[in-house]
Amino acid sequence: MNCQNPIDAAILADYWLGVMTEPEEERVELHLLACDACGERLREVIALGEGVRRLARAGSLRMVVSESFLRRAAEEGLRVREYAPPTGGGVACTVTAEDDILIGRLAVNLRNAGRVDLSICDERGIEQSRMRDIPVDSEASSVVYQESITFAKAMPDNKMIARLITVDAAGGERLLGEYLFNHTRSMPGPGV
Amino acid sequence: MDVELDDAELVRRIGAGTGREAEAELFHRLAPRIRLYGLRHLRNAAAAEDLAQNVMITTIEALRAGRLREPEKLVSFVLGTCRMTVLELRRGGQRKERLLERFGADMLAPVQPAMPRVDEEKLRRCVQNLSERERAVVVLTFYDERTGADLARFLGVSEANVRVIRHRAIHGLRQCMGVAA
Repeated sequence: MNCQNPIDAAILADYWLGVMTEPEEERVELHLLACDACGERLREVIALGEGVRRLARAGSLRMVVSESFLRRAAEEGLRVREYAPPTGGGVACTVTAEDDILIGRLAVNLRNAGRVDLSICDERGIEQSRMRDIPVDSEASSVVYQESITFAKAMPDNKMIARLITVDAAGGERLLGEYLFNHTRSMPGPGV
Repeated sequence: MDVELDDAELVRRIGAGTGREAEAELFHRLAPRIRLYGLRHLRNAAAAEDLAQNVMITTIEALRAGRLREPEKLVSFVLGTCRMTVLELRRGGQRKERLLERFGADMLAPVQPAMPRVDEEKLRRCVQNLSERERAVVVLTFYDERTGADLARFLGVSEANVRVIRHRAIHGLRQCMGVAA
């Protein structure tokens, strides 16, 4: 299966997602009806997309999500456990075997914030990881953070501090909000 | 077939009435491609299979009757037939059973190349290693089926930028998964 003029995988993803103009789509379809190599590449893209979809449903990704993501999860019958600590405050939290998605809703004023990072710290406030340049809607009043449910289900009792930080062009940082998650393990396993 | 003929030659043989073997070969070539078209437009494997069978029946009937005057235009003809048949399938117009009576089950045997298998743990690591924005775009695109304007608002960027981020993420994921970009 060789193709003299292969269609890029990202363009095939656009095709699969239905985000092309009609002439673009027609060009791709005429090619695909004559080319098995690009058809195979499209199958790879579809499989990749389906894999991402399954990962999202499994709640195993640590990431910032949108409100529409949460709506979709609820529509699909996923059980979403959500905690919403106030800015500068904390919340007692846990996760059970029935939960599918674990959310921390971090209240924050994002007006005039440029780049925003989410710093995950231990109970002493020492940074363990940082999510740089997270997607934020400046009109929103919170950042919706998804913790990996797989990780949380295996986690022993612990305290985690999340910090939202805005970073300016010169690298200067300003704290937007700090949130304490006081996790108690409610599932059997090591570390209880 | 002993010697691989191009599509146009298959069309000529079918039109000349000497092409039972050519019909089978054309079906073998085109059905998986049509099925992909069906997956894209119908989002359902069984419906895509029905589409492939319906389109091939219509195409072979047309070729037998010599209705395709320019064999080189086979792909355009098939695409047009795909579009019409998708509309008919959505209306529930054609019945598979009727087609089976007319053409026999052998000719209409499903042709389903398997989807590539994905190592999900590796994919999880690859998705997690994307930048925050790239991860958000691929997850929200493939899971939540959000495109353009919604994602642009969520990310605070233009729709054109969302496309750039999505393309970068797709390339990054494929590279991380070990397939050619």
